[in-house]
Amino acid sequence: RARPARCMISPMRAAFQKRATGYLAALLAIPAATFLLKLFRDHINSTTVALALLLVTLFIALKWGARPAVAASLLGMLCFNFFFLPPVGTFTIADPENWVALSVFLITAVTVGQLSAHARRRAEESEERRREIERLYRELQEAFERASHAEALRQSERLKSALLDAVTHDIRTPLTSIKASVTTLLDETRSDASVALDAAARREMLEIIDEETDRLNRFSESLLELARIEAGEMKLRRRWMAIDEIVLAALERAELLTRRHRVEISLAGDLPLARVDGQAIAEVVYTLVDNAAKYSPAGTRIRISAGRVDDLTIQLTVEDEGSGIPAELRERVFDKFFRAMRDSASASGMGMGLAIARGIVEAHGGRIWIEEGGRGARVALTLPLGERDEAGAEQMASSAQNDR
Amino acid sequence: MNEKKRILIVDDEPQITRVLRMSLSTRGYDVRSAADAESALETFHDWPPDLVITDLSMPGMSGIDLCRRLRDVSQIPIIVLSVKGEERTKVDALDAGADDYVTKPFGMDELLARIRATLRRAPLVRDGEAVLEEGDFRIDTESRAVSVRGKEVHLTPKEYDLLVYLLRHPGKVLTHRALLAAVWGGNYVEQTEYLRVFIGQLRKKIESDPASPRHILTEPWIGYRFDPGA
Repeated sequence: RARPARCMISPMRAAFQKRATGYLAALLAIPAATFLLKLFRDHINSTTVALALLLVTLFIALKWGARPAVAASLLGMLCFNFFFLPPVGTFTIADPENWVALSVFLITAVTVGQLSAHARRRAEESEERRREIERLYRELQEAFERASHAEALRQSERLKSALLDAVTHDIRTPLTSIKASVTTLLDETRSDASVALDAAARREMLEIIDEETDRLNRFSESLLELARIEAGEMKLRRRWMAIDEIVLAALERAELLTRRHRVEISLAGDLPLARVDGQAIAEVVYTLVDNAAKYSPAGTRIRISAGRVDDLTIQLTVEDEGSGIPAELRERVFDKFFRAMRDSASASGMGMGLAIARGIVEAHGGRIWIEEGGRGARVALTLPLGERDEAGAEQMASSAQNDR
Repeated sequence: MNEKKRILIVDDEPQITRVLRMSLSTRGYDVRSAADAESALETFHDWPPDLVITDLSMPGMSGIDLCRRLRDVSQIPIIVLSVKGEERTKVDALDAGADDYVTKPFGMDELLARIRATLRRAPLVRDGEAVLEEGDFRIDTESRAVSVRGKEVHLTPKEYDLLVYLLRHPGKVLTHRALLAAVWGGNYVEQTEYLRVFIGQLRKKIESDPASPRHILTEPWIGYRFDPGA
């Protein structure tokens, strides 16, 4: 390679400067070493001298690279020849063996220089490569984060749309009935009204207003609950409770809904207490029973069973004998506002029950899913019993005793 | 006029149907309801109504398809119940054959007024008739003479075609698309601005006060409605 010209870009300039320093070092170190060795000439032999000079060359190779090392080798050879090989003080060599020694020295010096420089270059290269890989990895991570952020944004936009659609519909529908009823009653009170509703019709209109107002209210409460679940702000008040109490409470509330079905309860005898929010779990059971009643024909059976899965978990199942839930929808039913186009009136569904149920169950650390097989739909959920400390265990034992 | 007019209500929400049934029967209409489009068509065949009121968003066959199916077999008035902001759906419904729309939630008085207007509409003037006479307007299709409140009016050919079309569909909400297609043909159905200009010109000629039109009424974002006058 030609020597770099004066006006080169800085990296080349730096390399040149480094090499220049190396040459300088070689120029200084070898004579210095020679001088030192000369001082001890009487106590050391030629081999030691050669090895010492070799060491200096090695050092120069490691620090300044191949070329200064070559310079050091050459200089070392000359010094070795001149100052140490007889006849000392001349460049001639008397003993042919010393020729061999000298050549070997030169070859070794150059080789060592090259090898160590090479090794160093390799080390530098792999360091460079490692840095490159790290940089690429970081870039990849950033790109990935950006992409998933964009995807998350898109998803949330989609959800917002679906939410808005569903909310709009579910608010407008009761409002329509209310407005129609109210304006009918108002028309009646006008003096020029030629029509009069009979008492029964009037009463029915007022009842409709009442029912639809309740519906709107329930809807807004469900929305709020769903929003809380989404924001992770569910406030659960967990106490040690008996699952059978919760199930019975839910069934009592659902009595009107289930009056046309056969409700069967099958709760295991050894059901332990669980640390749950009784109201929330009751609501889950109520929702499942409500769905079962809505989506199965009158007269069929609704079965609620609960039992222990293992030392730490309880499982509860609600099944009906309706048309069941197709396999591809088994996950999607838990989506907000999912509403299957079912045969019966979709009105009271509102599509949020299962989403809220899932939110509650998962907030307890449990799982809720649709089981396959069987005739109708089977919804199963697990609940962890909850942490037990000494006090808790005692409380459990004593209330279990009181129950029996 | 003593015979009760029959109204068929199609809506999947039972509460709405309940209220409408009660309210309308108190007003002297004979009312039946259907929870979806299919059963509406069945009822339609067994019990031909004078007017159909249908919701647009229903499971199964949509309200729009119901309009189309009804139009295949009948010219009876159809009023659709729509949701505010769904301009696209309203236009589609009107193009599919609906006569008018009411936005939910609506007051009963508003719905009753629309029902009365739609039922009162004179039967559509047949194409063969030489003279179209409606309210304040009189058009002699042979001589192409147009008079408004007795005074003769001179219209350009396109204005004439437009007025004839309007006169043939009194009281009905006509979409931009329908008007453009009828007067200018299929290639022009997107040129709403074009239509606006012509409507403006026509208003200047036939309205006593073009700034507050009484005959050519604007239905925002949908189209226009023609009221021939008393």
